[in-house]
Parts: sequence; structure tokens; C-alpha cells
Amino acid sequence: MTAVPLVSMTSISKAFGSSLALRDVSFELLPGTVHALMGENGAGKSTLMKILAGVVRPDAGTILRNGVPVQMNSPREALDAGVSTVFQELSLLPNLTIAENMFLGREPLTPSGRIDNAAMARATRETLKQLDLDLDPGRLVGGLTIAERQFVEIARGITANADVVILDEPTAALNAADVEILNRHIRALKSQGKAIVYISHRMEEIFRLCDVVSVLKDGRNVATVPVASVSPQELIAMMVGRDIAELFPPRGDGAKSAVALSLDGIRLTADSPPVRLDVHQGEIVALAGLEGQGQRELIRSIIGQYQPVAGTVEVKGRRIALPIAPASGVRRMQALGVGFVPEDRKDEGLFLDLSVAHNIAIGLNSRHSALSIARRYRDIIQDAIKSMAIKVSRPSAPVGSLSGGNQQKALLGRYLALGSDILLVEEPTRGVDIGAKAEMYKLLRDFANRGGAVLVLSRETIELIGLCDRLYVVHGRSIVAEMPAAGASEHAILEAALQR
Amino acid sequence: MSAKIAGTRIAGVVSARDSRHGLWFLPLLVGLIGGVALAATAADFATTQNLLNLAAQAAPLLLVSIGQMLVVLVRGLDLSVGSVISLSTAILSIDAPATVTIPAVFVMALAVGLVNGVAVTRFHVHPIIATLSVTGIAQGITMLVRPVAGGTIPPIVTVLVNGEFLGIYMPLIWVVVAILAGWKLIHGSRFGLHLFAIGGGDTADTFGIASRRNILLAYVACSTFAALAGMFLAGRIASGDPNIGTQYAVDSITAVALGGTQLAGGIGSLQGTVIGTLLLSMLANGMNLLNVSSFVQTAIKGLILLAVIAIQPRKTIGL
Repeated sequence: MTAVPLVSMTSISKAFGSSLALRDVSFELLPGTVHALMGENGAGKSTLMKILAGVVRPDAGTILRNGVPVQMNSPREALDAGVSTVFQELSLLPNLTIAENMFLGREPLTPSGRIDNAAMARATRETLKQLDLDLDPGRLVGGLTIAERQFVEIARGITANADVVILDEPTAALNAADVEILNRHIRALKSQGKAIVYISHRMEEIFRLCDVVSVLKDGRNVATVPVASVSPQELIAMMVGRDIAELFPPRGDGAKSAVALSLDGIRLTADSPPVRLDVHQGEIVALAGLEGQGQRELIRSIIGQYQPVAGTVEVKGRRIALPIAPASGVRRMQALGVGFVPEDRKDEGLFLDLSVAHNIAIGLNSRHSALSIARRYRDIIQDAIKSMAIKVSRPSAPVGSLSGGNQQKALLGRYLALGSDILLVEEPTRGVDIGAKAEMYKLLRDFANRGGAVLVLSRETIELIGLCDRLYVVHGRSIVAEMPAAGASEHAILEAALQR
Repeated sequence: MSAKIAGTRIAGVVSARDSRHGLWFLPLLVGLIGGVALAATAADFATTQNLLNLAAQAAPLLLVSIGQMLVVLVRGLDLSVGSVISLSTAILSIDAPATVTIPAVFVMALAVGLVNGVAVTRFHVHPIIATLSVTGIAQGITMLVRPVAGGTIPPIVTVLVNGEFLGIYMPLIWVVVAILAGWKLIHGSRFGLHLFAIGGGDTADTFGIASRRNILLAYVACSTFAALAGMFLAGRIASGDPNIGTQYAVDSITAVALGGTQLAGGIGSLQGTVIGTLLLSMLANGMNLLNVSSFVQTAIKGLILLAVIAIQPRKTIGL
């Protein structure tokens, strides 16, 4: 290839305080390529992209744009230079129209000084058409679906006539069908000769979409290789510096012990077949299968956050008829030693503004009456932080300031400190980097080895196979197969789900 | 336009699903019904003289409410408008030439707006606390300048708010000019759009909007509108009154909320604020005609504010 790179970053270094975020990183974007950028959280991906987007300024190194040295001093300058960024957090304003969001901050004016709404609408419609989107530019963004917003955000990047588009985890909020649409748009951009930087943790997307992948580790560019020349395992090995098999702790010995939790005759909807499953002590059991087949509803039935039509749940020999009242379900189950770790830890799990210590102690305090003095449980909290290796400067730091992996540990720590012996875990490693994933798996396995029982669901089938002892395949709001995890494969699970 | 299209358009406005203008249609309906009801029950309501009175009563509240709305759009609240009104009348009633007192009123408004805005944007004081503190300061100065009502107002001010110009009743001209100015600020400029953007979320800065500066400007504009209202009132009563502004903080917030502007920011419209102001003024006017005691009137206005806020959907942008 002899094409001049659209962007070429050479020997970029950046330090925040005493920690080096980037060391001598070089990065090149060729026209007409989708360039994946991978690495654990904290590996320097976002810092590198923020430098390209003008949000952060490098300490050393040069940036060439079409072969000419440039300085990106602000997001506006980067945009003017044709580099547009779609950051992970959606930043569109819900009370403005699509057109206003697209042009906010650089609205065209009529000669009389008013905002030229007609011109904005026209340009917006044109841009949306490029993305095959048929949305009325006058619609408020608040009324759009998450996927539509994501597309508008991308469209906003394109209005600036950017030929370098940075997408930071664009699929985090999208379902499979929308991911497909997004992929189509990305390919269209690529065929126009633009360069796309694609940041994602999802392996399959990288392999389906990207041409080149750069792996960052500890602020260094470990490798930049064509995607076709590597395997997922090799990529993970590059990111982590070790093999994927090492991510998962060894399984239990498989000796059958007493049943800790069992569901019987649960019918999620009036016309769905009854479901029965058992979880033994010392066992990690997964609800696998295609997304959205009822796994989540099954777990949430147990704690009263979903109301099944009928069924009973048995916790350590105590039978409870379902449905359970949503207001008291979690508390009742907590009293029986059942901890629930929800998928959305920020909204449903943690009190982000409260300290790590409070977030852990809140479970312990919930055992006492509301007017009793809240104890601090300093020792228990210290133990939890130490034994779970939660990386936090001090226990009083707000939990919202921690990385995703450490937040997840703090949430898990709440139930471990409480002495729960049954855990219901949704998406144990969502938004968590690979290093923290391995730690999370180890924590759950240690918990099981101490006699705990775990029921877990996850979108990542590989994770379920590696982590669990036994899998139930859920399909159509019912359990269609049961298999030991040791010999299972993604293929086998899919087959079991669809073969009925 | 066929009747059907007109019908769906109105339905769209009523549900406000595709607009950030808030529920202004409902108060309009209430106002129309109330107006008809008043015309039927109070014999003096629908007379030209009374309607002109109504305009004169509504004009200062309209000015304050437009200013208040700018601040509410960016999730703020300005309780100091009443004290700015009182202080404006007090300054105008000082025994000094109009060339000194009138500029002094606007310098005072600028200062109050800056203090409010700086406290809110730079020192992160809650808007209620910031403007409440400033209320105390301004009210104290007012009492020093004019402890009891009295003094004389420069003739230029009284001429501007009384009588007619080109055959049009002066307060009516103030109302029209206020509406035009408000429309330009809120719906006809980048400044207005940016206020909506700032009130709509925390990400306006990432679009390159200087949100702190815009919020500061909103407070300055609000104080300036209040000073104009003070000038209008001073001209009407032809003297200074240290207590004349007392009700305006609550009244303007009520009018703004009544017009469908959400106190959570980012949703609202000028037409809503105009309707809210007229509705509130009409209510006062009607109760006066029906001989309702002013104490009861104050209580009823408080009740209305509470009710309007209670039924206001919080943060339902786009719905």
C-alpha cells in the first residue's frame, strides 16, 4: 500500500501526574480502512483517541494529517481538521431536535441574525440520507430510540465532512439488529475512502468488521496487524499478556452436594412451559442461550423483580411461592442469604456518590432496624477491600470514581461481607476489562469453593462456558437443555437452543 | 389547510410530543374559558377600560416573567426580581436628575445580575440561596434609600408609561415590545437555543457552548427585565415604594410555570409565559372585580403555584 496515511501519530507520549498513560506510541490510519483499537481499560486507548480528538494534548510526539504536521488544541480544531469523534457516552440533548443537535454550537444564521432552521433541516436530511436513515430532522432527540440516537451522533460526526471517524464502543447500547445496521454504515464510510477507528471489547465485531487491529497494553503499542492474520485467542493473549485459558480458574471437583437453590414449575408467561432448575452448593450454574430468551426474567423472578405466572422457589429447603412482591423481594431473599448482583451496577446496584465503605456496609446495616445506629464495620470493609483486591485509594473514596472492574468487585463485596451463600449474578463482567474479568471469575470460583452456589447469566457465551460447572440453555422462556460446561461449546449451545 | 390537517396539528401541539415548548395549550384553554366566565359573571370585566387596566397590570409581571423564564430554562430561579423592582423605584424617586437615576437603575440591575450569576456559575451556590441572599442585600439598600413610600419620579418615566402614543395606550406598547424582545431572545437567537441546550443536559459544553457565560447572561437579562418592570411601576404610581416588588418573585415563577415551562429546565416557550402571565393577571383582575380580599388572593396564588408544580411532569423531555 502506498496511500498517504490520513493520520499518522508518531512517538506520542502522555503522562497524567506520575503515571504514564502513553509511552512512545505510533499509530497510523490509512484511507478506506476500519482500524480496531483494543486493549484493557487503562491501556491508553481512550487517551490516544482523546489526543487525536483534541481533548487532551500530548507531552511529546507529532501528528501528521495527510502528511502535514498539525496541532489539535481543542475538539473544535480537531473537527475542523476532519477528525470527528463519537464518544461512548451519548451527548445529544434530548430537548433539541435532530437538526439542532447536529448544528449546535455552529448554527447557520440568516442575514437577519436568526437561526437558519431551513438550512439546518436541509443539511441534516442530506446527511441522514447518507446513512440511509429516514428521520425527520425536526424530531426531538428525546423521542428517539437509543440506536437512533447513536446514529444521529454518528451523523453529527459526518456533517463536519470528517474523513477520520472515531467510534468509541458504539455498540455498547445497541442490540444485534442495530449493530448490523451500524456495520453497514461503517462499511459505507469505508468505501468512501474514510478511515474509521473502532474501539470495542467485542471480539466477534472486530473480526467481522475491521481490517487492521492495534493492541495497546500499559501505554505501549504492542502490535498492529491485519485482522485476518490473528485469532481471537492470540489477540487476547496480546492484550493480557497471557492465554485465554488462564483467564478462568479451574472448575470444582464435581462432587454433588446439597441443593442450595431450586426453581420449580416457574411459568414466565401464561403460555410458556414450566421451568425447573437446581443449583447445588459449591457450583456455578449458567443460564445460557440466545439473548433475551428469558434468562433475565428467570433470575429476576427469584427476587421479585419479575412477576411470573406461577411457580415456587426453594432456598436451602424453604419453599416460597412465586410471584414475590417486588417491594420486598430483594430484602426477603437477602435475609435468606441470597445476594443479587444486577446487570446495571450503576443504576441498580451501587450508590455511586457514596463511598466504597458505605456501599459495602449498606448490606450489613440493612439487617438492623432503621433507627439503630449505623455501624461502620471498619474491619469487615478493610477485609473485603483487601481480600477482593479492590483498587481504591481509601475506603471513603466514592465508588463512582472507581474503574468498572473495581465497582463490580465492590458490589460483589457487599454480599460477600453479608455472608450470602447464594449469588444471583447478571453479566458479571459487563464493561470490565480483561484483567478484571479474570479476577471476577476467580472471586466467583473461590466463593463456590467455599460452599456457595452461583446462578449466572451473561451475553458472552465463552465466559459462561469457561466459568461455570453446568449450563442450562434457555430458549423461548423455557429450559431446553442442560449440559456440563466442561465439554460445551458455543456451537453446541446454539444447536440446543434452536433444535426443537 | 384542510380541517383534518389542522386537527392533527393541534393534537400535536396539545400533546407537545414533538416540541420543547411545554404544555402551553392547556393554560390557553383555561384562560379562554376563564375569560368567558368572568365576562359573564362580573359585569365590568369585558369593558374597554377594564381590559386596558388589565394590560397595565400585566405589563410589569410580563417583563419580570420573561426574565424569570430565561433563568428557569437553565435550571435556575431568581428570587431577587422583587427586590430589584423595589430598589428601582427607590432609585428613581431620589431627588436627582433623570440622566443620573435612570442609568443608575440599569447599573444596579447589571450588578445584581452579575452577583447572582457569578455566585451560581463560579461558586456553585444553589440559585435559590444565591438569589435569596441578594434579595436581602437589595431590600436592605432599598430601605436605606427610601424607608417609606414617597418621593417623585422623573417626568420622562411617567410619560413613558401613562397616556397614549400615536393613539395607542402606553402600557399596551410596553406589552408588545416586551413580547417582541422576549421572542427575539428565546426563540429567535442562538442565545435562546443555547439556553435550551444548557437546560436540556450536562453535555452542552461538549458542543462548544460556553454554558457558564450563558447562564451568567441569563441572570443579568433577568435583573434587567426586573429593572424595566420597576421603572414601569414607578411611572404608574409616580413615586418610590420599598415594598412594591414583594409579590413579584412568587408571581413570576407562578406565571412561568403556569405557561408550561418546566422548572427542571430545557422546556418552555414564550407564548406559554405570555399566557401564564395574562392568566394570572386576569385572575387578580377578576377577583378584584368580584371583591375578593387581597389576602385571600395571595393565598389562592400560592395554591395555584403549588398545584401547577405538582402536576408538572418532571423531566419528561419530548413527551
